[in-house]
Amino acid sequence: MNTAITDLLVEARALTVRYGAKRAVDDVSFTIPKGRVVGLLGHNGAGKTTLMKALVGLARPEGDLRVLGLDPRRQRVQLLASACYIPDVAILPRWARVEDLITLLSGLHPKFSAERARQLLRRTSVGLGDKVRTLSKGMVVQAHLALIAAIDARLMILDEPTLGLDVLSRKAFYEMLIDEWCDGERSVVISTHQVEEIESLLSDVLMLNEGKLVLSISLGDIDARFVALSHDAAVAEQMAAAHPLLRYRTGPGPGGNAAIFDGPPPAHVQALGQRVRPSLVDLFVALTRRPELDRTQF
Amino acid sequence: MKPIPTLIRREWLQHRFGWSLMAGIPLGLGLLLVAFGQVQVESDEIEQAGAALPTMLALASIAASALLLFGIAWLTSVILVTGLSRRDHADRSVEFWLSLPVGHVPSLAVPLGVHLILVPAAALVVGLLGGVLVSLVLVTRVAGVGAWFSLPWGALLPATLAGAGRVLAGLPLATLWLAPIVMAVVLFTAWFRRWGLVIVAVGIGVGSVVLERLFGQPLLSQAVAALARNAGRSIVGAGRVEMGTHSPEQAEAVLRLVPGLALADLGHAVSLLASPLLLGGLIVAAGCFALLVDWRRRGAQAAG
Repeated sequence: MNTAITDLLVEARALTVRYGAKRAVDDVSFTIPKGRVVGLLGHNGAGKTTLMKALVGLARPEGDLRVLGLDPRRQRVQLLASACYIPDVAILPRWARVEDLITLLSGLHPKFSAERARQLLRRTSVGLGDKVRTLSKGMVVQAHLALIAAIDARLMILDEPTLGLDVLSRKAFYEMLIDEWCDGERSVVISTHQVEEIESLLSDVLMLNEGKLVLSISLGDIDARFVALSHDAAVAEQMAAAHPLLRYRTGPGPGGNAAIFDGPPPAHVQALGQRVRPSLVDLFVALTRRPELDRTQF
Repeated sequence: MKPIPTLIRREWLQHRFGWSLMAGIPLGLGLLLVAFGQVQVESDEIEQAGAALPTMLALASIAASALLLFGIAWLTSVILVTGLSRRDHADRSVEFWLSLPVGHVPSLAVPLGVHLILVPAAALVVGLLGGVLVSLVLVTRVAGVGAWFSLPWGALLPATLAGAGRVLAGLPLATLWLAPIVMAVVLFTAWFRRWGLVIVAVGIGVGSVVLERLFGQPLLSQAVAALARNAGRSIVGAGRVEMGTHSPEQAEAVLRLVPGLALADLGHAVSLLASPLLLGGLIVAAGCFALLVDWRRRGAQAAG
């Protein structure tokens, strides 16, 4: 994909973040153009939060990193004026009322709209006079998301934003994201464990495994690169001999098996099954599971 | 976008209830005591004070209210400030504040300024106003309400305002003298949580003893004592003030001297600033603040 430099909101080259001897992010390189919804996927401890912190200047990386053309460490204040970040939900100050937070954000963020925040909060069950400490976890999440969504930012970085939300609230958040944020100019980086739910929203995926970037791809290119073959149990051994990335069950019965290949498998193997679209979850498992689990898979 | 006024407002929004209680309870208790409690003035004191008794009672109640609230506010603020670096960690809201486009320097400096200077100053003003109310009740009980309205306000008000002005002007100076100790505690609390205060206290104590006993150098203990002494002098009593001996009847005349005396005392307090000890202390305080900013820049993580 030909992307002009000016269209790139995030450029990372050989990015490494260390905590002592441990490399939480290990030699990661990627770009994020404008107008993308990027899913940042990985197991617990894969480095997602650390990478997000590096993007907003809260972690000290080695390598090159430019976000909105700025150095996140040296130009953190300017960056956060045009980017919004939810580090972790349910971290609003417990002493504050919701209206207090609107007042404070109005004075601290140049692109925050108090009216917009009130409008978004009207869609939730949170009242302006409610104290954060009296809200349930889900209501705190709703309030935080409404406040952040009222910021007219070019880049939104969300670390597990829907944790604690019920399914209706999650759906409402995703709809808000699509209807009001994704305008072709802004980008969203979102990390979540609910991969199946957001797969339809995503345009790109970054997969981390133990700090390393194992996949950086657009969802459109996934179909071109990865081949999933649904097959009978009778041909399982022939499938296995072709060294797929992952073999898994798709359902009960002898026909409920599948295998994922990185690139087209040999023609004789393709003839053994029927091509299906690999889900993001299955791809995620294929690329990030530990090798010793392979032997116990079947 | 107005970060500094908004950060000041944050402190008000977070602490307004506590501050209201801090001012309201002592004043309320004081008013109740003078209104319904036993007011005992010895007959020889009445005789000695003569016509100046209401003036002296008014002055005492105004000064006591103002200084009491000032002292409570200052002590409370110093205690709060020592935990400032860690205050948003319990509910993890520090990550919320770090996600906003506000620099580390104003995020740390504004709360320090609010708690160490603005809050005690505001408490002093509230105490003054409350003290006027207390004086009304007290003087009325002792000498009747007419006596309160007959007080020499032309001398009393300027004296009161001059005294309050002296304390208010001295407050930032006192803060400068105490800055190295306060900032050391704030920094060590950031690094070591509750152990920070212990480490600083033990460090100063043990360090003083070691330097004095083993090396014959009482430098550390003398420096800390001098910092505390000069901080106190910055508030009041920086210079020798000759008031002479006046009889109670000359109370009004004495009151008229207060503004000049307060100004002279302030001058002495300012002259104390030309001190290598203060310069060294400010270098230490600046160093601690720089390390605090660096700690916050790293994401405000704990040491170890």
